[in-house]
Amino acid sequence: MSGSPNMSAGTEGSAAKGDPLLQIIGLTVEFPQFGAASRPALNNVDFSIARGEVVGLVGESGSGKTTLARSIMQLVPEPGYISGGRVLFEGRDLGTLGPSELRQLRGREISMIISNPRGELDPLQTVGNQIGNVLRAHTPLDGAGIRARALELLRQVSIPAPERRINAYPHELSGGMAQRVVMAIALACSPKLVVSDDATSGLDVTVQAQVLELMRDLVTGFGTSLLFVTRDIGITAHYCDRVAVIYAGEIVEEGPRDAFFENPRHPYSILLLSAFAQNERLRRYWLGDTTAGASRAREQGCPFANRCVRVQDRCRVENPERREFGRGHFAKCHYPVER
Amino acid sequence: MSLLSVEDLVQTFPVAGSRALVRAVNGVSFTLARGETLALVGESGSGKTTIGRCLLGLITPSGGRIVFNGMEMGGKRSVRSPEIRGKLQLVFQEPSESLDPRMRLHEIIEEPLRALGLDRLERERLVKEAARRVGLPEWLLTSYPAEISMGLQQRVGIARAIVSKPEIIVLDEPTSALDPTARAEIIDLLIRLQRELGTAYLFISHDLSAVRQLSHRLAVLYLGMIVEQGESAALFSQPGHPYTVGLLSSVLLPNPKIKRLTQLKLAGEIPSPIDLPKACFLAGRCPLAEERCRAVMPPVETVAPGHIVRCYRTDEVMRMEQAVDYFGQFQAESDRILGAGVPRDMR
Repeated sequence: MSGSPNMSAGTEGSAAKGDPLLQIIGLTVEFPQFGAASRPALNNVDFSIARGEVVGLVGESGSGKTTLARSIMQLVPEPGYISGGRVLFEGRDLGTLGPSELRQLRGREISMIISNPRGELDPLQTVGNQIGNVLRAHTPLDGAGIRARALELLRQVSIPAPERRINAYPHELSGGMAQRVVMAIALACSPKLVVSDDATSGLDVTVQAQVLELMRDLVTGFGTSLLFVTRDIGITAHYCDRVAVIYAGEIVEEGPRDAFFENPRHPYSILLLSAFAQNERLRRYWLGDTTAGASRAREQGCPFANRCVRVQDRCRVENPERREFGRGHFAKCHYPVER
Repeated sequence: MSLLSVEDLVQTFPVAGSRALVRAVNGVSFTLARGETLALVGESGSGKTTIGRCLLGLITPSGGRIVFNGMEMGGKRSVRSPEIRGKLQLVFQEPSESLDPRMRLHEIIEEPLRALGLDRLERERLVKEAARRVGLPEWLLTSYPAEISMGLQQRVGIARAIVSKPEIIVLDEPTSALDPTARAEIIDLLIRLQRELGTAYLFISHDLSAVRQLSHRLAVLYLGMIVEQGESAALFSQPGHPYTVGLLSSVLLPNPKIKRLTQLKLAGEIPSPIDLPKACFLAGRCPLAEERCRAVMPPVETVAPGHIVRCYRTDEVMRMEQAVDYFGQFQAESDRILGAGVPRDMR
């Protein structure tokens, strides 16, 4: 990315930043289903985020990326449940916390921004009131202090005329403006981790660029860590220090941004990248078999085996282990691409 | 003679309970040749979908002319006239919402043929052919839309559009609801179909990398007006309008080293099409805006053969913006990165 020294430093510095802020170990989430056993929504996922780090989690619909984002907050939707593994936040196992302790944590230490900002805002409350709710719950501020802080936050997310907007209702705001308000709410208590779940996907491209830049600047300004959950691999190339690719509930590749984009190893990562290629032959090669029904994840072996152009017999029976290819660069593949 | 020509198209909509008008399309002109893809690019509220709907006769334009195959549309001659019926088709953005959930796939694909008075055997033959062309296996055709993935649903939408052998297909953001891999499949399919069938596409999109993959020419819309139009490759490497620059520099290609750098940052968001700015529509957001931009609408100027721009300061824009083909650079890099592990004869 242009003109952002902290970004280029991130690739090298992630290991030097000390203990991870968030550490996910062997996380498995299942959604019970009638009939035959199916693959869990998340399968034995190891993942971590360092302090001040911006990490991109890329996946398609149904890959488990939102389930992963939500299980960080211990908010896996019913009937899904965490059947294995742990989520450690600053060394604390979030799975052992009770409802009131979790409420204390959410919004103050970890906050989440989802897509569809209008759906997230209460249509019957003013912008100022909704920012105030978070501050009232988590800070000792009183009336005047809350208003002052809300104005400050609106200014930080670049909302023009904040004195006027603070009294506005969500329907009076454009999509980009509403997304900024949601960001102001998420950042109100200076959380340590912000999880953005496809937060910019509904915005127009020029507005998306503004919001992404703002998000990254605010986060680096506050020293907050940021997890960008997205299906747009382009966002991760320009706004993240590290990239993880999730497929069928497993992180199939993960690495420092530059290493990942220069040297992607897993055929699925390459498939995602090839979607943007002008070269039709290469695109078609990596797309593989696109006929109907070819894309189901397998119940055993590598989850990507049915779609993979490099598949061999071994892939259909044995799920590959996570292997390290370079510093911090991991992939789960029996036959990774060599360059 | 071009297959389609649109001249000074205007479309307004009344606002309920008021005398105000939504000025969705404000004097748009373009042509489309046989077998060609013209992309209409713009953000929400730019009028691109409205233009597509005018072409298809789904709404009657408030002003301007649409000439298809030498015949002026409008009045008695519309999409329903026998000489036009079936020649213009549409592929929608949301495949799940544009397919009737209670019809089987083969019935959905067949529907446009029912208006053409073909007998049952002929219709069956055409449905099978369309399904084969878009890669839908025959055994799948008795399924319902809810039983198949979004990518396959969009293939059904495309089969329905090609079944009547149209000359023009309006593609209204056909990939924006799809996941990346389904998106790549649909783009591939559209390119292949155009090669096989010679259909012209009006490709409405805000996904600029898809536009670059698919389109020959490009028209950039802002508040219902074309601010720049030209050959895709030329426009992508040397844009002449600040808004085009803004769009291109917002594109996030999946390569951290490649991004269009610019000093031309647009502020704010697209204004309401009810209170249009008096002069240049972009003046309120443009860092180069000066007195005259706010006073008088800039005229359309030809900067190169086939390349038009509506901006007083095009010369400065072109000077400030290096003529760099970022997409070309990206493609060269991706050929290298994606080429690894690919057998030599497949590259």
